[in-house]
Amino acid sequence: MDPSSGIQEPFDLIRLSLSERVFVKLRGDRELTGILHAYDGHMNLILSDVEETIMIVEQVEGAPEGQSTVNIAKRKMNMLFVRGDGVILVSPPSRT
Amino acid sequence: MKHLVGQAKLVCTKVDLLSLYDIHGLSSGKDFDFSTTALPEDVRPQIHREEPTRAGIPSQELEPQQQRPGASFHSLESIWDDKSPFSVLPRTNGSHRAAEQRPSASHAFSPFTGQTQDSHAGAGQTTSQPLHLGGVHSQGVRTLEEIEAEMRQAFAAQRNQNISPSQPAQARVSQGRGTPQLQQRYAPQPEAPTPPPRMHPHAQSPRFHQYQQQEQIQLLEQQRQRQIAEIRAQERRQQQQLQLLELQEQLRVEEYERERDRERQRHIRATQQAQQLQQAQQLQQTQYIQQRQPSGRLTPSVAELQQRRYGHQSPANVQAQPDAPFQQSMQYLPRDIQMQQRLLAEMAQAEFLTSMQGSASPALYNTSNEVEEDREQQETLRAEAMRKIMEAERMEEKRRRKLEKIRYMSRYNDLMTQSDKDFITRIQVSQLVTQDPYTDDFYAQVYGAVMRSRMGVSVPDPVLKFGSVGGVGLGVSQVKGGRRPSAMQRMEAQVERIVNNARLREKEKTSLNSLQGALGKTAGRSYKAAPRQLLQVDANGATASPTLSHAAAHSHISKADAKTEGTRADAAAEAAKMGRQALGGTATGPARREPLTQRETLVKLEMLYDLVLELEQQRRDQPPDEEVEATAAWEKHFEETVEEIWDALQVMVPLDTSDPHPFISLITPIKGKRLLPRVTRHFSSEQSLTLLTLLVACFSQLDVVVNSYLLDILTDSQERRDVEMQTQAFLGSVMQSILPIGATASLRLVSGMLGVFLERNEIEVIARTRPGIALLTLFLSRVEVINQSMANATDPSELPAPEDLEQWQLMFEHFFELITPHLPYLFPSVRQAINSGGIPVTEIPDMDTIDQPVWQFLATLSLNSSLEQQQVLVTSLRDRVLDNVASASKAWSISDEETRKTRLSNVNIFLHALGLDSSQIAM
Repeated sequence: MDPSSGIQEPFDLIRLSLSERVFVKLRGDRELTGILHAYDGHMNLILSDVEETIMIVEQVEGAPEGQSTVNIAKRKMNMLFVRGDGVILVSPPSRT
Repeated sequence: MKHLVGQAKLVCTKVDLLSLYDIHGLSSGKDFDFSTTALPEDVRPQIHREEPTRAGIPSQELEPQQQRPGASFHSLESIWDDKSPFSVLPRTNGSHRAAEQRPSASHAFSPFTGQTQDSHAGAGQTTSQPLHLGGVHSQGVRTLEEIEAEMRQAFAAQRNQNISPSQPAQARVSQGRGTPQLQQRYAPQPEAPTPPPRMHPHAQSPRFHQYQQQEQIQLLEQQRQRQIAEIRAQERRQQQQLQLLELQEQLRVEEYERERDRERQRHIRATQQAQQLQQAQQLQQTQYIQQRQPSGRLTPSVAELQQRRYGHQSPANVQAQPDAPFQQSMQYLPRDIQMQQRLLAEMAQAEFLTSMQGSASPALYNTSNEVEEDREQQETLRAEAMRKIMEAERMEEKRRRKLEKIRYMSRYNDLMTQSDKDFITRIQVSQLVTQDPYTDDFYAQVYGAVMRSRMGVSVPDPVLKFGSVGGVGLGVSQVKGGRRPSAMQRMEAQVERIVNNARLREKEKTSLNSLQGALGKTAGRSYKAAPRQLLQVDANGATASPTLSHAAAHSHISKADAKTEGTRADAAAEAAKMGRQALGGTATGPARREPLTQRETLVKLEMLYDLVLELEQQRRDQPPDEEVEATAAWEKHFEETVEEIWDALQVMVPLDTSDPHPFISLITPIKGKRLLPRVTRHFSSEQSLTLLTLLVACFSQLDVVVNSYLLDILTDSQERRDVEMQTQAFLGSVMQSILPIGATASLRLVSGMLGVFLERNEIEVIARTRPGIALLTLFLSRVEVINQSMANATDPSELPAPEDLEQWQLMFEHFFELITPHLPYLFPSVRQAINSGGIPVTEIPDMDTIDQPVWQFLATLSLNSSLEQQQVLVTSLRDRVLDNVASASKAWSISDEETRKTRLSNVNIFLHALGLDSSQIAM
């Protein structure tokens, strides 16, 4: 696949994304996009220029079938340290 | 035994129970020595006689217990009766015994304390002999009674000291005080017959014994001084008390005498009116002077004045005299007593004065004014005296507080020995010491180096120790380094000391059976039976784990080996391809291929970063210039790495290999742009030139050019921000690395590059981008510099050849023609205005800052232009110029002064190049 593959393990893929914008999915229905600066074996991440999206799932009282709406809360941060055990996935940002 | 122990508890207040037991253990296993009991009757009366002499509670406690035994004292069995152990006292006086035996007994406790005891004794006490408070007893056994008697005696001795201070008593006291001290020191230790291993003499550092001896000497000195000070203090107190008594007596005498003298003085007063007036004036003057004197002088001077005023009468005289010696001793006395005495004296004086006034007033009405004056003066005097007292008290308070603070801060002094402190320091320092500071904290080191190079140029020493913390700290913070350098220096000094100690110890330890040049421990056991193999620990740990690279994702460098393989393979493939092309002829043309995928670019970039980090590490490990061989090898290695980087950048790949060119693909991610300056500083000028040419040729493939249209839209979005960031990075990094080459290029080169630029790219698109403008400005300004140097040059060889000049002229004209139609659209503000649909140009936000590069470009353009060309320029740009000038001059349109100035200066940049000025334009 890669002609001169320096990639040997999954962490190398993350390594490729250093200084690039990445999309991170976290536990607790949260997502981040930010520029990845550092990572380590625990998947702790250091991101900058981060935007966090929190999805709040709420039960609507009216409909008895259990319909729920999803509200979204966003917030921005300059620098962020993410603890590794909350990280589900790291990927390049979705390209259109 | 239990009942005895219980009784012992009642009596002994200070002696530990454990120590009791241990002492019993020492006394040859017997609890009590009943072998040589004297008749108890003889003993008891003696005890009774002895006890009262030592006043104190212990004796009182003894009495009731001793009275209990009664008649049944004769038999040995009586010991087991319910009696105090003291009733069985087989000897007369235990104190001496105890004192004598104390050193020998304590010797068994620990050699450490024994040492001090020896030196204690050896250094010369006031009385080297043990106390002779009674007869010497021949008993070889120390019993409970002995200790207790000793303790009590020490108490009593202390008390004696307070009551009757006399020299022999003091000597006794100092001895007695010495023993309780020793007791207190020994009491906690007895359960350890051997000292803790740490405290063994041979376990201490070689300097420890020296410290010990010094400490002991100091200790003795201090004790001696303390004794002397105590004696002096006592003497002073005595004097003080005597003086107090004396003073009080004198005051009384004086008052009595005053009463008698009043009659006499009334007559004298009448005659001395004139004199007094004068003296009053003098008094006032001296008062003013006195105000500036310290308060202590007031009393004698006031006394002197009184002396003067009221004649030379004895009471005043007498009063003056005690004041003088009083004052001298004032410095020595404790301050509060001093204060009291001063107050007393002054009050006495005040009384004296009032009594004088009181006696004078009824008799002398015609001197009522004087009396009032006197009263006033006395009032002021008194007030001043009070003020001075208050001031002195306040100073006193401050001093006391300060002393208290110092005492509080130093209450834990001298808890650790020097060896303890060294021990701890060694541990702390060993944490800091690193063989390779770069492995421990790479980023801190690099950051420190960058800071240092930016601020002062300091010595980039490869500090073996303290490489991590010390060097960085010192380099960065210079301002608040008032105290920090000294802490660092102190630590360094400590480390030095520790290292020296360790070295000395090593030297002392190394004997014949230790091997030289061995790393690790060698002299652990004797080598007679079978020599243990040596441990050779390799200091360079990097080679120990060569193939674990895939497990160490965090270390870029560890994977460099694997990566370089890949790079070389890649380069080899490329070379092969190029070779095939060359061989295959031009028919096939350069092998066309797909542009690098995102994945591929990122992979290659990471490889490049590995190489660059390796390169920089090599630079840090550069061997000194003296070692020729090492330097040569290092240089070779360095060159190889640079070559690898060059190949990895794919600059030599033919231009049309792909769109975008691989090099351009590599430059596209922002980390590629940031990588470039770090790489180009190691390239030769040819390599840099090649790079520049490639860049120029493929300029339009750059992402900053392709996406620049986004910048012309005012609405904010993530992409726009990204493009903005990329452009910034490009201008900051790539252009920075290009500048040195561009600034020194010859005219031929410049015209050649301009040609390539125009040929392969669409100038109108390029010129609308900031990078494009920047590049063009670079070229044009270079040419301008060449032209100017042409005018100043003396050396004909420097001048560009005529054909070069011609070439340039052609090129320039071509360029000019191409650019002229688009001149107004070069301005970002114009483009933004157009895109936003209707906002006038002058109201585009930040218009001046974004337009400034364009104005500069236009200036350089006009400098190179002929007159006609300049005319053309002016015509096309007239609107812009007028707009700017108009908006700048009208007061209501622009809010602050800054903007106006910038706008005008922008226009002037261009106009000055033409030889015009904005002021010439009439509005």
